[in-house]
Amino acid sequence: MSEGGQPQTIPLYIKAPKVYPREIKGRFASLRVIAAWVLLGMYYVIPWISVNGQQLVLFDLVNRKFHILGLTLWPQDLIILSLLLAMAALTLFFFTALAGRLWCGYACPQTVWTEVFLWMERITEGRRNQRMRLDAGPWNRNKIVRKSTKQFLWIVFALWTGFTFVGFFVPIRDVAVRALDFNLGGWETFWLFFYAFATYGNAGFLREQVCKYMCPYARFQSAMLDDDSLIISYDVERGEPRGPRKRSANPAELGLGDCIDCMACVQVCPTGIDIRDGLQIECIACAACIDACDDVMDKMGYPRGLIRYSTGNAMAGRPTRILRPRIFIYLGALLALMALVGMTVASRQPLLVDVLRDRTALHRVSDQMLENPYTIKLTNRTEDELHISIAVEGLDGIYVIEPVRPVTVAPSQVANQPLTIGLPLENARAGMHAITVSASDDDGQVHSETETRFFIPARALENAQ
Amino acid sequence: MPRNDPHIPRRPLAQRLGAILWPSFFAAGVACMVFFSIVDPLMLRDMTFPDFEIGRMGGYTLGFFLFWAATASSSLFTWLLLRPASRFHGKLNQ
Repeated sequence: MSEGGQPQTIPLYIKAPKVYPREIKGRFASLRVIAAWVLLGMYYVIPWISVNGQQLVLFDLVNRKFHILGLTLWPQDLIILSLLLAMAALTLFFFTALAGRLWCGYACPQTVWTEVFLWMERITEGRRNQRMRLDAGPWNRNKIVRKSTKQFLWIVFALWTGFTFVGFFVPIRDVAVRALDFNLGGWETFWLFFYAFATYGNAGFLREQVCKYMCPYARFQSAMLDDDSLIISYDVERGEPRGPRKRSANPAELGLGDCIDCMACVQVCPTGIDIRDGLQIECIACAACIDACDDVMDKMGYPRGLIRYSTGNAMAGRPTRILRPRIFIYLGALLALMALVGMTVASRQPLLVDVLRDRTALHRVSDQMLENPYTIKLTNRTEDELHISIAVEGLDGIYVIEPVRPVTVAPSQVANQPLTIGLPLENARAGMHAITVSASDDDGQVHSETETRFFIPARALENAQ
Repeated sequence: MPRNDPHIPRRPLAQRLGAILWPSFFAAGVACMVFFSIVDPLMLRDMTFPDFEIGRMGGYTLGFFLFWAATASSSLFTWLLLRPASRFHGKLNQ
């Protein structure tokens, strides 16, 4: 471990220094605040919206169906959900190719919740310098009061977030009533706290470390970005050589560029990087450095845009092409997926029929009749009550013994109904026979059928003779 | 840098934990979604532990954490294999 008798200290691990992002006002900061309001507003408000007594967005796991804006998805509709997820991914690719990491800077839940937690930190602990002093200082009354107020706000907000999260899976009004009675179910309580803890940990404690160490997007973004994508870049040509100077000084005379090396862009950065070092994977493209630099440029009387949204090509003095094959490919794939989702949704059968053979008794013989018992599962995907009659065909003389009357299936419900199919022994030939079970509504609007098998054992025929 | 170089600094704890827990969390979520879209937890219970009093919500939760345990073990295994040799064979390398 030691060389030449010199003891060496090996750090246990690289300690990431805490990042104290400075508060910032400006065009892009306002955009981020608007985005946060809209997105968090949607998150916290949508579960409370009900139409005709049906929560507008409810992933009703207990009853195994998802309600999304008037559309009811069943487990069999997993394909639609997968297509929607694929669309979300392609949308991300499209916007990344077009305008860089818009997602990270404005829409990622990690960014948005971190901003809210930072805002709470700011109103309790003060501005950047005050926060740094507070952290460095002793634990006096002021520090305890400020820190505990912050923790209180954080915890309440995180719990509210966890509660809302549960409200996407269990009707939220129900949850609210039971939460007020301290009468939540075990799993609801568990997920409420789990999500609250995740929010607190990610937005309050981990923050930029999530983007730096855990987010896969930063690692594969280069596959979507090219020299025509908008990125946040520092104009090296214009800025260098950087250096401080008086406002009245003429930088040309001093041999300086426009960058006054005030470090404002570094101080506002939520991931603690220096954008002047070029595009880095840590950059979440929040544009805080643009606002900060524009502010400084205004004060210095220099033109804005030393740090700006630009493209690799523009920075190198080449023309930027927005409409390029990549954009059309993403857009085309997106539209194709959209059409596919539309078609899949439109062609969904209003009634699903599943017939399961009864495993305990494959057949019975009674009264010159060979019977096969089944369970029929009728899934009503409409919003109306259906009265379903069941018929069978495929063998001469085959008919439904039970149910005799039409089966009533409530809207969006599944009915499990014992089904007995019979065949006169005189028509029976030994073997497994394919038969078709069909189910139709009274008025013939809804019709669906499925294949199953009818079992005639040779033994049963011998015994009967 | 050779793999037995003792000077490879450790990564921050958040990164080490994050690299194991987060991808496995994600994979478990996807697996859970696909699995339970086909299998109803109540049917699964009846087929395995019919005496076990557990509802759908409990079934989903249990299933998710079982998946997560499996995927996290795999991530942990990968982490062990990728660790620099100096970390766990320190004595052998001296």
